[in-house]
Amino acid sequence: MASPSKLRIAIVGAGIVGVSTAFFLARAGVGVRLLEAHAPAAAATGAADGAVSVASKRPGAMMNAALAGIALYRELAAQGVLDGGFVSRSTFLVAVGAAEAAVLDGHAEALASAGVEVVRHPTSALARLAPALSPEAEGAIEVRGEGHAIGYDVVRRLIRAAELTVERGVTVRNLVQSSDGGLVGLDTDRGRIEADAVVIAAGGGSAELLGLDGVLRPRRGQLLVTERAPALNAALPGAIMSARYLLSKASAKGAPVSPRGYGLVIDPLRTGQFLVGGTRENDATRPIADVEAIGHVLADAVAMVPGLAKLRLLRAFAGLRTAVVDGLPLIGRAPGGDGVFVATGFEGDGICLGPVMGRTIADALLGRPATLDLSPFDPGRFLAGRVAA
Amino acid sequence: MNRAPVLVVGGGPAGLAAAARLADAGRAVDLVELRPALGGAYHRRPIPGVAPWPIGRAGEARWTRLAAGIERPEIRVRLRTGFLGVDGAGFTLLDDRTTGRVETMRPAAIVIATGAVEMVRPRSGWELPGVTTAGGLQVMMKETGRIPEGRILLAGSGPLLVALAGQMVAAGRPPAAIVETGDPFAHPIAGLGLLAHPGPLLEAAGHMARIFAARVPWRRATTLEAIEPTDAGLAVTLVDRRGARERIVVDRVALHDGIRSNDHGFPEASPTASALPFVAWAGDCREVLGVAAAEIDGARIGEEIAARLAGAPIATTSAIRRLAAARQAQDVLARVFAPARPPTPIERLPRETILCRCEGRTVGDLVDLLEGADAPGGREIKLSGRFSMGACQGRFCAHWVAEAAAGLRPDAPPPTPHDLTGRRWPSRPVSIAALVASNSSPDEPTRPT
Amino acid sequence: MTGGTFSWNGRDVAFRAGESIGAALAGAGVDALGHDPAGRATRWFCGIGACQNCLVRVGGRLVEACLTPAEDGLVVVSADVAEEIDR
Ligand SMILES: Cc1cc2nc3c(=O)[nH]c(=O)nc-3n(C[C@H](O)[C@H](O)[C@H](O)COP(=O)(O)OP(=O)(O)OC[C@H]3O[C@@H](n4cnc5c(N)ncnc54)[C@H](O)[C@@H]3O)c2cc1C
Ligand code: FES
Repeated sequence: MASPSKLRIAIVGAGIVGVSTAFFLARAGVGVRLLEAHAPAAAATGAADGAVSVASKRPGAMMNAALAGIALYRELAAQGVLDGGFVSRSTFLVAVGAAEAAVLDGHAEALASAGVEVVRHPTSALARLAPALSPEAEGAIEVRGEGHAIGYDVVRRLIRAAELTVERGVTVRNLVQSSDGGLVGLDTDRGRIEADAVVIAAGGGSAELLGLDGVLRPRRGQLLVTERAPALNAALPGAIMSARYLLSKASAKGAPVSPRGYGLVIDPLRTGQFLVGGTRENDATRPIADVEAIGHVLADAVAMVPGLAKLRLLRAFAGLRTAVVDGLPLIGRAPGGDGVFVATGFEGDGICLGPVMGRTIADALLGRPATLDLSPFDPGRFLAGRVAA
Repeated sequence: MNRAPVLVVGGGPAGLAAAARLADAGRAVDLVELRPALGGAYHRRPIPGVAPWPIGRAGEARWTRLAAGIERPEIRVRLRTGFLGVDGAGFTLLDDRTTGRVETMRPAAIVIATGAVEMVRPRSGWELPGVTTAGGLQVMMKETGRIPEGRILLAGSGPLLVALAGQMVAAGRPPAAIVETGDPFAHPIAGLGLLAHPGPLLEAAGHMARIFAARVPWRRATTLEAIEPTDAGLAVTLVDRRGARERIVVDRVALHDGIRSNDHGFPEASPTASALPFVAWAGDCREVLGVAAAEIDGARIGEEIAARLAGAPIATTSAIRRLAAARQAQDVLARVFAPARPPTPIERLPRETILCRCEGRTVGDLVDLLEGADAPGGREIKLSGRFSMGACQGRFCAHWVAEAAAGLRPDAPPPTPHDLTGRRWPSRPVSIAALVASNSSPDEPTRPT
Repeated sequence: MTGGTFSWNGRDVAFRAGESIGAALAGAGVDALGHDPAGRATRWFCGIGACQNCLVRVGGRLVEACLTPAEDGLVVVSADVAEEIDR
């Protein structure tokens, strides 16, 4: 390929992944066209929870990627790019009942074995540590060194910091390749855009562009935001995650789960509000919340933090995570299609992973050595032969 | 045929008239009203033992008719119950403040008749205690029969200020002054158009006579620019038609710059008859045409829904013609009260001016958010700028934020207020305990199947 | 329902039957209701439950003073009086 700064690069999708890729390219002095059907953060990025966290993960490729993701958030925060956009804080996994307490024990060991700093808090310590927690709580583990970032906020800050411009309202219809498989560019509803390299970071829209039907699946999540309650907020030392979440987030991702799974994460936000989630629903495609799910999540939340019952709900919303059937994202060069890169399928981890994956794709485009092993996420496992066809 | 009740949202003239016509057609109706009493903005009912505000013979006849129309077994009136919207599973959500529970239902149709909300242009100090909307002051007067103590200044634009001043004079408590941005007497020709609408004209004439008799200063072509708290009260700065400034001190300020539909968070009107539930809008929330038109519109929509649900043809009535006449009257009023000088564009107000009170977002915050190469759209302004993100859900600021954004970025597609507010449930903040209660007893389903 | 008194930040305020908390407070000369949890001054503004500027705390919960009927013996405080933490 030509020298990176001469490359005409187009990125499809201005979610956190597409914008991060554009940000790191711009920092290296390489301009891109950032094409977005709606608006930045219009899809999953704008409807996400924002845990920049490994608390619910098992050791493995995703854990390693997430640790790199957290490290990059710290770096960007230190550089002033994210300023107050990344809040460093612990996640508390809280058990209710003996069964959950047992799950927690095993989980704490697994986390520690991966080098994560974990502190166990006995039941007797909880009243002082987290006065807002229900007395039903039986022990907690504190996962240190992680944080929280709001997807749309990160996207806006990256756009500002790199002075990116997003081409809003441009829907990409398909990749255009020459008869010998070489990349020509993209067809959009506003006409053809020629490109030497294309990054497909279109979330749920990627399936159609890549011919991946049946490989990418929507997994809906419903969340809610409360009004402000500064005192209650201060009475929680970090994010509260029910140990039951470990069960809901089936340890082997992509394995069949019940149509509507419930987990519980209570995030005290900087504003004094709480962000509470959520569901994991297979094959639900309307991004609209329903009262049955929100009522269920709230009942669980109130059982964990009784003070929430006195607050009002301000907003309820739903977003579609894009999941890959085998539970691992698709990141890297598409086989056969020279100059076509893919970065999607992050399911419930794209806020944590978006910046680091954006940097990794940018490095690949710039011809720089990889800082992260992408082999477990190789799109070739599903795409072999498809893109070039 | 779907025998489920029709939900009518709002207990003003449009809602009451719609409920009566639906009941005439044999339909069961659930009529919900957020406040503890029916009546809506115009026919607001006083608390027990307080005489209603005099509204003239035609007004009283209208109320008698509306109140009698809903005295029937088919209509269940539920006060202190708010409509929260329709959820993703198609359930209609009601926030019943008397039981403290959110209820779900599947009505055959929904008539949204939630009236209007006032517009208050942002100006320095509009967020201070002692500053209300003119309608907010009127609510207090109509419900309690009492006018709060002190010197009260009415400012902004439109016939409501005149009506409110007339009512205050009648109650023996004239306002300190009326400050009107328009110059009604400068449009005698346009004003003649009102002769075709004797009802409103007579009412206005009555108020004017009282205002002049009581020598209430009516400062026309004058704008209230700023309000500042001082030890002696609220110091307001007025700018007259020549640009001369004057400061006067009062105890309270009631602002009003017109009204618009109260439509936040509600589902759109159904495009087709087959949509379920069938959603229709009636009265001021469909189009701001005033109280008489709201009754006509409500009755029209009530009949239309009853016919649609029965699969019967929709009868043509005189309603459309009468609504057109009301629209004409509104147009004339708009011309008569047109601002004498173009108002300062929102985006050029002082930077510290509050745009979104709930989140404390200012003109300067918006200017900063919108500068740079990339122009964020409406939803991004909301999410990243926190404009219209607070508890009122943009009811008082979305309009102005959208207008200012369009002024600041003529190069980008102008955002609409709906881009900022959305159409999601809950249409208003709702108690978490009430939501939990709605789900807590699966053996007693609150949802008919 | 009859009238009575409720407590406002520790002081007794009389109300008439059917009156809202907000109207009764205005009758007692109270305009500044306190501060909302975001720290901004609260007051009666729209009177119809739309503006959310009149929030006060009753039984630990924020309610609109303009929509909520006063009740005898009710304890009402400014929204910025810190909520108690239930456990
Ligand atoms: C409820 C929920 C909770 C979550 N919680 C967390 C969490 O706590 N922590 C975490 O790390 N992650 C979380 N996530 C996951 C995270 O939001 C996603 O993994 C991440 O946003 C994916 O980013 P993306 O850029 O791949 O996709 P998206 O944000 O979906 O962006 C794709 C963009 O492409 C555009 N597009 C699509 N098709 C086209 C086309 N043909 N032409 C042009 N543009 C197109 C879309 O409009 C969209 O803007 C959560 C997700 C949800 C839904
Ligand atoms: S005064 Fe506006 S909500 Fe009560």
